Amino acid sequence: MELFDLSLLHSTMRMFTPILLAALGGLLCARVGVFNVGLEGLVLIGAFSAIVGNYFTDNLIVAVTVAMLSGMIFSFLLAFMTIQLKANEIVVGIAINFLALGLTTFLLRTIFDVKGAFYDSSMRGLPRVDVPLLSDIPAVGVLFQSQTPLVYVALALPFVLYFFLYKTVAGFRLLSVGYNQAAANSLGIRTNAIKYGALGLSGLLCGLAGAQLSLGQVTMFSEGMTAGRGFVALVATMLGQSHPFGVLGASFLFGLADAISTRLQSISIPTQLTSMLPYILTLLVMFFVRGRGVETNYSNEQSSR
Amino acid sequence: MRNEQIQTILQLTIAITIGAVVGAIAMIVSGAPVITTYIQMWNGAFGNFYLFSSTLANATPILLIALGVGIAFRAGVFNLGGEGQMVLAAVTASLVAIYLPGPGFVKVLAAITTGFLVGGGLSMLAGWMESRFQIQLIISTLLLNYIVVLFASYLVSFPFQDRTGSAALSQTAMLDPAARLPKLFTGMTVHWGFVIALLLAVVLYVMLKHTSFGYDIMMSGKNASFAFYGGVSKTKMMLHSMLISGGLAGLAGVFEVLGSQYRFVDGSLTDPGYAWSGIMAALLAKSHPLAIVFASLFLGALHTGSLGLERNTDVPLEIANVIKATLILFITAKFSITWWQRRKKAGVSTSGTV
Amino acid sequence: MSERILMKNVTKKYGDFYANNEITFSLQDAEIHAIIGENGAGKTTLMRILYGLEEQTSGSLYVNGKPVRFSSPTEAIKRGIGMVHQHFMLFPHLTVAENIVIGHEPSSAGLFNRKKAVSQVKELAASYKMTIDPTKKVKHCSVGEQQRIEILKVLYQGAETIILDEPTAVLTPHEVKGLMDTLKLLATSGKSIIIITHKLKEVMACANRITVLRNGEVTGSRHVDETSEDELATLMVGRDLKEVPPRAAQNGATHLEVKNVVVGEKGEKPTLHHVSLQVKQGEIVGIAGVSGNGQSELIQAITGLIPIESGDVTMDGESVNELTVYERRQKGISHIPEDRYQWGIAKSASVAENALMGYQYIDAYQSVRGVINRRRFRPLVTKWIEQFAIKTNSLQQQIDQLSGGNIQKLVVARELGHESSFLIAAEPTRGVDIGAMERIHEALIERRNEGASILLVSSELSEIRTLSDRIVVMFEGKIVGELSRDEATEEKISILMAGGTVHA
Repeated sequence: MELFDLSLLHSTMRMFTPILLAALGGLLCARVGVFNVGLEGLVLIGAFSAIVGNYFTDNLIVAVTVAMLSGMIFSFLLAFMTIQLKANEIVVGIAINFLALGLTTFLLRTIFDVKGAFYDSSMRGLPRVDVPLLSDIPAVGVLFQSQTPLVYVALALPFVLYFFLYKTVAGFRLLSVGYNQAAANSLGIRTNAIKYGALGLSGLLCGLAGAQLSLGQVTMFSEGMTAGRGFVALVATMLGQSHPFGVLGASFLFGLADAISTRLQSISIPTQLTSMLPYILTLLVMFFVRGRGVETNYSNEQSSR
Repeated sequence: MRNEQIQTILQLTIAITIGAVVGAIAMIVSGAPVITTYIQMWNGAFGNFYLFSSTLANATPILLIALGVGIAFRAGVFNLGGEGQMVLAAVTASLVAIYLPGPGFVKVLAAITTGFLVGGGLSMLAGWMESRFQIQLIISTLLLNYIVVLFASYLVSFPFQDRTGSAALSQTAMLDPAARLPKLFTGMTVHWGFVIALLLAVVLYVMLKHTSFGYDIMMSGKNASFAFYGGVSKTKMMLHSMLISGGLAGLAGVFEVLGSQYRFVDGSLTDPGYAWSGIMAALLAKSHPLAIVFASLFLGALHTGSLGLERNTDVPLEIANVIKATLILFITAKFSITWWQRRKKAGVSTSGTV
Repeated sequence: MSERILMKNVTKKYGDFYANNEITFSLQDAEIHAIIGENGAGKTTLMRILYGLEEQTSGSLYVNGKPVRFSSPTEAIKRGIGMVHQHFMLFPHLTVAENIVIGHEPSSAGLFNRKKAVSQVKELAASYKMTIDPTKKVKHCSVGEQQRIEILKVLYQGAETIILDEPTAVLTPHEVKGLMDTLKLLATSGKSIIIITHKLKEVMACANRITVLRNGEVTGSRHVDETSEDELATLMVGRDLKEVPPRAAQNGATHLEVKNVVVGEKGEKPTLHHVSLQVKQGEIVGIAGVSGNGQSELIQAITGLIPIESGDVTMDGESVNELTVYERRQKGISHIPEDRYQWGIAKSASVAENALMGYQYIDAYQSVRGVINRRRFRPLVTKWIEQFAIKTNSLQQQIDQLSGGNIQKLVVARELGHESSFLIAAEPTRGVDIGAMERIHEALIERRNEGASILLVSSELSEIRTLSDRIVVMFEGKIVGELSRDEATEEKISILMAGGTVHA
């Protein structure tokens, strides 16, 4: 089997979607000056909620909505803790990750009465659809065939975010909060409201990322199924310099690594070694990222408490 | 200083209260009566001497990792790599204890030393990447966790797998009985590792409080520029504190292998979430080495208590993780009666000549 | 002319401390009114009340005769009051135009019309004869330009009254003149201006009226043509200044030498271009210059906090270039840092812990190697506290509960306590009251008379002139002139500071 072919790119598209969605969420946080270590947990919450929504309503739209809302609720929790209660954002981020892991396993036991993973053959995953015009392009058109709608949503989002951040007044003010919150405050800009908005939206995107994980690729939930993708997304945000297109590129890179890693498993290399690939790549990429990858008045921040 | 202490106690009380309330809600969700369930939990952790010794055994790796995380915190460094450092140290230490020729105590000492150095070395690698290339330590240690845990799993699934048994489990061969850490009481789970961990807590306390190295660590954590200005080398502080931090995490893994499991079993250190509990203990105790002892016992008790629940009630043991996470969520929150007033004033805080 | 602003019997209490006590202050239309006073006199507090950043404990505010009370700057801005802070509130990554219009962006359907913003800013700047490029990023703007941006921002928001807090502290003398012209132009076009400062010369040059504060109270209010610099100085200080101690004649050998030091580009800051200077034993060399012209880099290069690209730093002829900060301190370099909060202390540590920095490795304060003996160290700190009259409850008090002046005195005492042969004193009296300033000056002269070499960096010309035996002037990372104590007049230094040349 060839290592690189169109089907690899096709699976890259599928696998980079959750990373991209979460990384765009990370972008929104970074742009209002929040270094969100909790992306991982938010995605996990989304993945679990999507399954719960799907199982109980058998309606995919409801399932995805539930995922978005729960991601948002937990993101608001993070916002409340850091903005209102001035808690350390890294500690809160870690706590969110842990809470997500604890809650999902706890609820897996209480709701579905299973340990480890939940799968029900009666559940439907997200439908596979083609994009009308793009899928007709020769050769690369196959990339836009039979993907979940979330893949296309994710692809469109960087453009939407770019327009929002750099063309609208609201986006301009959001950026100003991250650049210099004290200055924005002194102008009467409602910085806290903007931070809540950005974090809420970020949670929503993470919820979507989770839905793609649990309903798009497979139709199941397993404990800790995010497997560090939230952290990879955080690095994608940093590598992409918190710019929508930069993040798009960085996420694609990590999605590709994911896809290659999966591909390699089929050619009798121990899974442990192939699974390392995305993490090693991410770590190597860190050598090209300076600081937290966003311009602020407070650069040179140490990773201190 | 007074105010700070009151603030700390207030924060701790509120965090524990909220944790208990969330725990209660979780119990109600599982359809269990709250008070009796909490009593069951208490009994699970302290009900008899055997259970108490299990709590101590469980607290041992948490305590060691927490001490390490605490030292790094004090130096202003967020070492989230405890898991990887523990696992890599445990797998190398078990290989050393199995394959190094020589009498038992040599194996034990060699395993402990290698474990400390391997854990410390891995942690120093992340420290070096931050001080040399400004690679965010929080992220690099997290990523290293995934890499190292997979690597250890590979080692015991392929080259060093124990093939003596019938089932091909991912684990090493058993340790020689002579190369094991003795138990404190026969028939009980707690081993000498716990005593060593307690001693280390005292050593670290004295070191932080009374030595110039400890002073340098504290000042680096409080204001790195100030320490640098005063002659403290940034790189040295980073590397030394990470060496100790990772080394202690390594010891946690080594003692689990030498004192409890007698072999390295894939997933046996990561599944109970020792490393994360260690980070929590350090946070709960505000990195104070002696307070960390109590925080670790508390978290260890939560774990054994939840095992008791699992045995005796319908409440799943995962409830412990929900309670722990809630605690950590609130532990750094700055509660004060007037926080909403501050919100108004936080409007603009410009400095100037006052 | 009618009264635009009236602050009547305004009092602001922090605990038992009166920051403002029954202050009455008025501002006419088209008037430039200066508020002067020493550090801690209450000028800034009064203005923060007027701008809605603080609420007064008692007293009332009137704008155009109507009583008002502000609980946030937004309300003050609505009443036409704007403020230019001492530390600029700008977004370095945004353009000039974006910085000016932010909060009131020209837009249609939620879309930010950047073109319109640029043209509006151009128009506004032109109408007040200010030159500025609206499309430039603020991080590429000089300090003078940044201040113009701040003023334009306030004007764009529709302010009729503009408060400027210490606007000249960071400007070159040439830029100061430009600012004065702008302010006068603004006043003639009907704006009212309040300027907070402690520089009497500038006050006399531009203000219509002057109100003097001391210890939170008004000690006098004068029209500019019925007062003099001397009278204002007396009103400000309330007593005659102490004479600095006499300078003993010294004739020492060169102790510290900086040879051709180059420090590379770091961010937007100026670099050091082939800087050379010597400091002899028993000599204070003052470095004059507007801050940000390479002084910080020079200090950091000497103390080992930043690496140098080429050149050499020697002590008694021996290079210290390869040494670490610690080794240089051991060689006899001590250092009063320019920013005490960034470099000089750890805010959350106690007085005792902060005092210990630099002494933790000294054998005399250790029981065994590596173990600190705090009992032996304590008498030393107690001595400093007495010597410098540092007000603290106990050695265990958290240091950020002390006032800025007391913190600075502790830092100075700690660094002088090493009795090192070479001392860097960077802005040694920034933000401290007169008593603390006098004591610090006295201590520096004493150290000099004992034979130590001192390199003084200060943006206060008066301080440089009071203390220095020799004065070098830095401009854009170069040393542009050197003057002896006798030939250094304020005019000559000012010309050099702005990059001009002086013919001896």
